Amino acid sequence: MSELKPTNKKAELLLKAAAAGHVDEVVAMDSVAGCSTTFDPGWEVDAFGGVASLCQPMEADLYGCSDPCWWPAQVPDIMNTYPNWTDGKPSAQNDWRELDAVFPKK
Amino acid sequence: MRMKSPGLLAVALVAVVAAVAIGPTAAAGDMLVTAAKPDKLYVIDAAKRSVVSEFHIPNAGSLIMTIVPSPDGKVAYALVNRMESISGIDLKTGKEVFRADLSTPGERVKDFCAFTITPDGKELIVYELPTKLLPSEFQVQEPRFAVFKTNAGRSAKAIRTYPAPRRLHMMLMRPSGKSFYAIGFDLYEYDVATGKQLNSRGILKWDMPSHSQPDLLAFWPVTEPSGVFTSPVISDATTDGKTTMKTGLMSLDVTTDKLEFFDFEDTSALIFSTVLSPDRKWAYGVYSTLTKVDMEHHVLAGRVPLDHTFYSVNLATDGHEIYMGGAMCDVGFYDPVTLEKRANLKLPDCGDQSLASLRVLPAR
Repeated sequence: MSELKPTNKKAELLLKAAAAGHVDEVVAMDSVAGCSTTFDPGWEVDAFGGVASLCQPMEADLYGCSDPCWWPAQVPDIMNTYPNWTDGKPSAQNDWRELDAVFPKK
Repeated sequence: MRMKSPGLLAVALVAVVAAVAIGPTAAAGDMLVTAAKPDKLYVIDAAKRSVVSEFHIPNAGSLIMTIVPSPDGKVAYALVNRMESISGIDLKTGKEVFRADLSTPGERVKDFCAFTITPDGKELIVYELPTKLLPSEFQVQEPRFAVFKTNAGRSAKAIRTYPAPRRLHMMLMRPSGKSFYAIGFDLYEYDVATGKQLNSRGILKWDMPSHSQPDLLAFWPVTEPSGVFTSPVISDATTDGKTTMKTGLMSLDVTTDKLEFFDFEDTSALIFSTVLSPDRKWAYGVYSTLTKVDMEHHVLAGRVPLDHTFYSVNLATDGHEIYMGGAMCDVGFYDPVTLEKRANLKLPDCGDQSLASLRVLPAR
């Protein structure tokens, strides 16, 4: 921590609290609080380093992977932030054209 | 999110069936249950290759995952609402007869696919991962098992809780009803009444000295029809200085407590889930291929390509037909001897099953 310099008041308070032993231990966040807590890199390669053994077709795997935040980088976080992303699109193979990009609300 | 009232929409729906071969079919009376987006629960007559009931699960959140039938086969409990609710649907009327909404104001609770039911059908045990939603932070709470009475109706509250380990993804009840397995990085066993941990054995730290840590994807809680849960495991095995990626099987007999691991091939195809035959001589696994494993000689016995990827495999009560579902909107019926396709049942409206379990209902 000594090499880190706080840049705002909250960080300063955190540094002081850590020094005083008032900061809780960091624990694994295995609760799916958002897809950003998932670190799986996505579907680009299979277990053999290629693409031949990925799910066939890719659409077969789209909801199975996006539902539990398996593909956090490629699809919206439907677990919490964009829960309605698949509404009206129950079939990935038929509805994939309707699956839009999402943007943070201002 | 569409919300629909539960109800029996159609009985004896004429489903779209593409029979590709005439041959022996499933054991008469096998009824399957699966689910599909956004909120549908299907009961399928396996022998007739037809959907006999289509129900809507209220407030399913377009996401239906693990399905656990009641021991009498009358109710299907499903993990819905983005892992935050368990809904129990009466399979005769289609009405929601049980509902446990796990989250409360200020505390979001997810259940990552793990829950089970006691053999008397009276209690559900649910794995809960709570997170406090504070104004400026999410505060991770300790995971817990929460026990619900199945007769508690649609506003069920936990009657007792006890501590649980992190990183669980599946639970299996033992037939005695006194204890259950919880599967994650380790294989745990807990007392149903007290929540006391009775046993812990390594999965990630398994007793396979020449192998790396195994990788497995076990969140389809299928023990039918053999009473044995099986799952593919993949690891690197080193022999004479040479390392090879191996595919094996984990098998857990929920009655005898016997746990086994063995390799059956150099990894050449991926497998998501497996099921064991009633005579325990064969295991069948699915992904983009259908795989058959000789349990006696620990070798690959057969493999055929599938029309597309399936996630969840199951087997007829008499072992004479393979069922497969999950991923897309159809259920496959395959010959367990030749691995040939017998039929394919397309679900009405073609909603993706995604991670929904495909379960064979206990005989009523």
